Amino acid sequence: MNVDLLTQSPVFVLAIPLLFAFLTPLANKVSKELRNAVFLIGLLLTTLFVSLMAYEVYTMGSWIYVFGAEQPTTGLTTQSFFRITFLADGFSVLAALTIIITALGAGIYSFGHMKESNGLGKFYTLFLLTLAGVNGMVLTSDLFNLFVWFEVTSIASCGLIAYHNDRGESVEAALKYMIISVIAGLLLLFSIGFFYGEYGVLNYFLIRDSMTGSLIDILAIGMVMVILAMKASSVPMHMWAPDAYSEAPEPITPFIAITSLGSLFVLFRLLFFVFRGAVETSAIGSILIILGVLSMFIGVSMALKQSDLKRLIAYLSVSQIGYMMMAVGVGLATLGTGDYGIFGARAMEGGLFHMINDGVYKALLFLSAGGIVYVADTRDLNKLGGLAHHMPYTTFFFIIGGLSIAGIPPLSGFSSKLLIYKSVYLYNPVLAIIALVVSIVTLALIGKIFFNAFLGPDQGVGKKIPRSMILAMSILTIVVVLFSLFPNYVVAEIVVPAIEGLGVGA
Amino acid sequence: MIDIVLQDIWSPIIFILVGILVSLIAYMFYLMGNPDYKRTKYKGDPFISGNRPPTDLKELHVGGDNVYWGFTRALRKYLDPLVEGHTGIVNDYVYWFVVTLAVVLVFLYIM
Repeated sequence: MNVDLLTQSPVFVLAIPLLFAFLTPLANKVSKELRNAVFLIGLLLTTLFVSLMAYEVYTMGSWIYVFGAEQPTTGLTTQSFFRITFLADGFSVLAALTIIITALGAGIYSFGHMKESNGLGKFYTLFLLTLAGVNGMVLTSDLFNLFVWFEVTSIASCGLIAYHNDRGESVEAALKYMIISVIAGLLLLFSIGFFYGEYGVLNYFLIRDSMTGSLIDILAIGMVMVILAMKASSVPMHMWAPDAYSEAPEPITPFIAITSLGSLFVLFRLLFFVFRGAVETSAIGSILIILGVLSMFIGVSMALKQSDLKRLIAYLSVSQIGYMMMAVGVGLATLGTGDYGIFGARAMEGGLFHMINDGVYKALLFLSAGGIVYVADTRDLNKLGGLAHHMPYTTFFFIIGGLSIAGIPPLSGFSSKLLIYKSVYLYNPVLAIIALVVSIVTLALIGKIFFNAFLGPDQGVGKKIPRSMILAMSILTIVVVLFSLFPNYVVAEIVVPAIEGLGVGA
Repeated sequence: MIDIVLQDIWSPIIFILVGILVSLIAYMFYLMGNPDYKRTKYKGDPFISGNRPPTDLKELHVGGDNVYWGFTRALRKYLDPLVEGHTGIVNDYVYWFVVTLAVVLVFLYIM
């Protein structure tokens, strides 16, 4: 493979947001317009390099990027013992696409929503650092490097959650997020230390080939699993998520949610690609299924009691994480058995398709909610009403996102949930019934938000939604509609290569 | 054997085409309706258990806490302890993390 821009793309996916993160405050010294332009260029260039990486992976196949090697794409060599490696494959592309689509929507949205805020130079720096961090998490194939990007993501996200530091609730949410992240980060480092102490290597491939399934391995695997499940906001370790999602600035909420999804991508990568041979996959699969079912059911149950718009959507988000964990858990539990070919692989397809779907429609929902907060200046569903009179576009965007999260045909959420229902039913019908009930309650809750916020008598509002916010929501809506119209194409061209990237058959 | 390949079980394009067809049929029925019907904004007073409707239109809107009130009330024995468990205290967040970690490690060890 020749060394060219396409094969170098994984490093640019990381380097561009890092570089522009530090250019933004410099541009801010010159003018607001230049700062916004630099931020947008950074986002667009990152999108370009994610697209180039996707193109290369889908046309030429996957490759290992070895940092500092003479030929960056020659694959794993003895040099790789000491060098950081990135893995560019279908799974990395699925994760990077999910992240960049959300980041693009949230970034463009923030131009309008945050225009009256102070300290935007720092805001955009933290935004791009979070983007770099989460991209690094999903691209790296080195455990210590994973820890570094995990920390970058946590610190930058924490700053973003506390952005409205004049509000006590925001600072409290950020403090809680910081405590959770520090504990998670330290334990992650601890478990990486176990692997390094035992095998003297940090690379995913080398650890995978060295693992013996010892007690130390089991201890480290369990710790990594629970840490990443907590960062993915899985029940019962989800409680930080509604605090953080609801108190972060509106454009940032979907971005914090995407860092959770990033942790889930890393969890699946490690379980399938690295840890699979060292522990009983049926045991790990069962744990994922139990955590998934708990997340689905308790997430949606807690949403029933919410009258804060963003907290309600945050609990729905927790519940959606459960679908992915359950579906991928079924894939893992059936791995190596005849059932994998019959329904395990389809459950994987459903779970991974739901991840990219969820990233996009959840961002659309959070941004629509941000529009409501921008116009009505409240998140309280008891005080909202009649906004459809003033916000026809946002009403439409909310309907698209809401029906998609509820799994209503023909929207994209239905396609992925259909695959999950049918495949999980063959594993255990009770799981499919729970998933269906959760979907019905989700629809009821979307109906509640729609009724409370958009319907009813006109209550009068003072502000109009800026065009950039409409544009951002339009971009996400177009992606949801495309995924809705061509689900078979998405599964065949994006999801199946992702499953193959995990080292298992699709 | 149940077929669960997505392209064999779901086609959004066909779903939308059928939806358009059904809408056209519904529209044909609509055209067959009473042509003398006069459109008016007044649809009659809302029925609120026999009470007089409020004069202020804003009072007609049901607030967030009251939507599905009966449903959540019926499930209060399940929902109330769940809500109380979400204390908002960060110590509890860490407690649940430690408990989950312990359970997962024991489970993995046994298996």
